[in-house]
Amino acid sequence: MEDLKTYIESGILELYVLGDLSPEEKLQVEDMASKYPLINAELDEIERSMELFAKNNAMEPADYLRDRVINSINTNLSEEGVIIPNNTKENVISLKQSKAYTFYKYAFAACLALLLASSVALVSLYNRLQESNTEIASLQSDKQRFANTVSLKDGELEVLQDASFKFLKLQGTAKSPVSQITVAWSPAKKKVWIDMRSMKMPVNDKEHQYQLWALVAGKPVDLGVFDKNADTADMKEMKPIATANAFAVTLEPRGGSVSPTMDEMMVIGKF
Amino acid sequence: MSRKRKISLSEDELVLALKNREKIAVEALYDMYSTSLYGVISRIVIDTATAEDVLQDTFVKIWHSFPSYSTEKGRLFTWMVNIARNLAIDKIRSKDFKNQNKNQELENNVTFIDEQRNTVYKPELLGIKELVETLKPEQKLILELVYFKGYTHVEAAEELGIPLGTIKTRLRMAILQLRKHFN
Repeated sequence: MEDLKTYIESGILELYVLGDLSPEEKLQVEDMASKYPLINAELDEIERSMELFAKNNAMEPADYLRDRVINSINTNLSEEGVIIPNNTKENVISLKQSKAYTFYKYAFAACLALLLASSVALVSLYNRLQESNTEIASLQSDKQRFANTVSLKDGELEVLQDASFKFLKLQGTAKSPVSQITVAWSPAKKKVWIDMRSMKMPVNDKEHQYQLWALVAGKPVDLGVFDKNADTADMKEMKPIATANAFAVTLEPRGGSVSPTMDEMMVIGKF
Repeated sequence: MSRKRKISLSEDELVLALKNREKIAVEALYDMYSTSLYGVISRIVIDTATAEDVLQDTFVKIWHSFPSYSTEKGRLFTWMVNIARNLAIDKIRSKDFKNQNKNQELENNVTFIDEQRNTVYKPELLGIKELVETLKPEQKLILELVYFKGYTHVEAAEELGIPLGTIKTRLRMAILQLRKHFN
């Protein structure tokens, strides 16, 4: 007991309470306290008196400090993930993305949208260009057709207006009594036309064609071949000839014959 | 903000709640000990804003270090007040704090010195008047050096030019005096 009293009076327990001992000395004091209730009681007395001392010197911190301290600990509490009370969420300020990052994000999105819109516009423009090109081609072919028609009509008009042309109606033969063809011939210009519009002939098949002949001094001269189709409606210029006594049309194999097949004579007309 | 009702638990309940990392424990801890701890901190760190920072750091450290506390090693308050004292003393010894005081010295010479004197020599420093009167001057001084200035008893012995044994005895006598007063 005397040793314990000396130990207590050495002041080591006070130093222990004030935290002024090395780790080894601290362990020694704790060991003693666990062995001897007297030392434990003495320690407790010192601790209580220091606690009361602090209590008597207490100072009230500013009111706002309570929330600041509790919030700072609750933030840690949430991070630990042990207990997350609902209201601590208010204390956790979510990290804002940096403005620059947000700017680049939107800038990239804008670029992408612009690229997409441009591509769509380009494709649509390309399609319209194709349509326009097709339209131009079709208009050009139309124009060509009209030009051809006009030049043809000019030719027809010329025939009709030219006084040197003679008109001869070739009448149907016994083989085809209803057939009829009008031939316009200018001996001066050596030009021969047939009027397809007023022509009355049976429609020829694919193996045969009509052939126009001029009879010059009793001999037949080839003036070219033509077809009778459902839609033939123009004047057709045939081969030129300066003199002729008569004109006749025979049905010949396609491409025409060197000399007419007399059995197949459809129409004939004499001047 | 209106002051909330203070939460108070028994020490055992508080220790259990802290061990279980309960939110209520944080509030109870603050309500039960903030004034005592702030009193000690304020006497070590004079500047109010710094003292407030130290108080916050103290509670955060108590919370984080709590797993290392054990009731067998003594009372909860003893463990906590030593954390508070260590943080406060670290603060006044830190380079930042010293520089801050140097700047103050230029600006506010007289006031600063007065404040310094306040911490060292004002009798109210060691608490209520009757208590201070019961302590002998050398007991006050040793308590001041060790408890509020962060001297180890070895450093205090060197500073005062007194044998180590005497320092220890004086410290024991000072605390015995406190014990008598509170009993």
